[in-house]
Amino acid sequence: MSTIAFVVLIPLLLHITLTMVMKNIFIYSLDKIPYEIWVFPGIVLLVSILSAYGVLHRDLFDLRIHKKSFIPITLAPYSKFLLVAGFLLSAIVESLIYGILSMLILSSFLYQSIYWYFYLAIPLFGVVFLFLFVNLLLTISILTERITTYLSMIIILFFFMIFGTGILFEFEFYPKMLGTILTYNPFSLVLSELRRFLFSSHINWIWILVPILTGFVWMWMNGFILKRTLKQ
Amino acid sequence: MEASITLKKVGKLVGDKTILASLTFGIEKGTLVAIIGDNEAGKSMLLRVISGIEYQEYGQIFINGLDSQKRRNEAMLSLGFVPHELDLDPWLTLEENIRFIGMLYGESMETINTRMIQLSRDLHITTYLKKMVKDISPGIIKKGMIIRALIHDPEILILDDPTAFMDAESYRQTWDLLLRFKKEKTIVYVSQSLQEVEEAHDRILVLEDGKIALDGSLDRLLGSTFEYHQFQIEFEDLSDELFKTLSKLPKVKNPSRIGHSIHFYGRERGVFFEVLNAASSSVMKDIRVKKLGLQDLMDAKYAKDGIH
Repeated sequence: MSTIAFVVLIPLLLHITLTMVMKNIFIYSLDKIPYEIWVFPGIVLLVSILSAYGVLHRDLFDLRIHKKSFIPITLAPYSKFLLVAGFLLSAIVESLIYGILSMLILSSFLYQSIYWYFYLAIPLFGVVFLFLFVNLLLTISILTERITTYLSMIIILFFFMIFGTGILFEFEFYPKMLGTILTYNPFSLVLSELRRFLFSSHINWIWILVPILTGFVWMWMNGFILKRTLKQ
Repeated sequence: MEASITLKKVGKLVGDKTILASLTFGIEKGTLVAIIGDNEAGKSMLLRVISGIEYQEYGQIFINGLDSQKRRNEAMLSLGFVPHELDLDPWLTLEENIRFIGMLYGESMETINTRMIQLSRDLHITTYLKKMVKDISPGIIKKGMIIRALIHDPEILILDDPTAFMDAESYRQTWDLLLRFKKEKTIVYVSQSLQEVEEAHDRILVLEDGKIALDGSLDRLLGSTFEYHQFQIEFEDLSDELFKTLSKLPKVKNPSRIGHSIHFYGRERGVFFEVLNAASSSVMKDIRVKKLGLQDLMDAKYAKDGIH
């Protein structure tokens, strides 16, 4: 049931409540791209983000907080870095599958057709985006001890992802200082490079490498935090 | 004999409270060691530290000669741990829970299945393997946790209250299985049931305030008090005067009263007849005599002060 919800209902809901409404307000992006095409990669990533919440809550936070199976997992003969990598990999793969399926469904709602390379580029950049996002979610899942705190954190995070990473709006609409800061956060870099590649066929590899490196450092830090939290 | 687990001056703090205080002891391979003690004595923490769930602030722990912190991954391979609380994933079946841990330890699917079926037959839970854990009773889940801990065939098995939540039949099946591993595996367990400990042990460690208060087999722990018996006589009316008279008899040790009953210890059964003589004018309703056991040893006053 939850799979059907993620794959069908959430893309449909996002399309009806966001794309169909916003495209009447914005119509075109600042680079003259039809809004519903411009926002399409962001909506796909939004579905992946939503599914990542569920996956990581199921695999890590819920097990840890309710003391279910988590301790035996940590006693297995692996380093904490490898355990974190395992949680990351499973969350990225599962969320990406949801993202790809929702992309196929969402594309059928679009008035204009999209190029074939959208279907390749969005999942590839999606991996990098999710690499960062799942790391952030891992940090919250490891450090938070109470469910109420966890819920507050993920709601704040969700708002940040919608409004602070350029999923729905271009940063040129924000106050200049704020827009500049948000443009250079690693999540925004991935999304802006994805759009640059999709709509102008250019790519700045530096802005891709920065989020990837950030993700690896973050993964190592999560391993360290997990070790400290568990006192193992 | 070769040591399976060695602790050297192991200390554990929680906040500023000392939970384990400079513990030094070894556990020989193939022995069955029971750890008992009052609440907050540090029993569960000792198991957590030995099994690597929490690190110790001081000292070293060696598992089969390997430093449990410096060579953790290798050391963990030879450990199986069963916590007190039920911790299987409720949204997986029993066999999925067991299989998952087996795979984490790098066991082949064939080996996992063979061991899981054999162990679940031994513990009579084969019919529950395909059921979701959320639909299974706690006693069966606990058995599943024992299978999970044994799935990678560890040399050392650490169990926190292994028969908690179990009925009498499950209790027997579980100990039947565990005692079969005796000599082959080192088993360390904590139990609240002193009867369980009396029945199954090579060695008993009594923890008190994070320190080992007593260490040895039951016979050895009872030591000089081994010949003592506990007596209980219930009178129709135990007056203060009668209680004082009986308490003053030279061979009556540690007398106490509950209602109209007098409890006391005595080295020889002969003391009993002296008491009967002294109380012959009073009506007695019930008489009980039993040899001292672990329960008496754990009686706080008795454990600390002995019998005077």
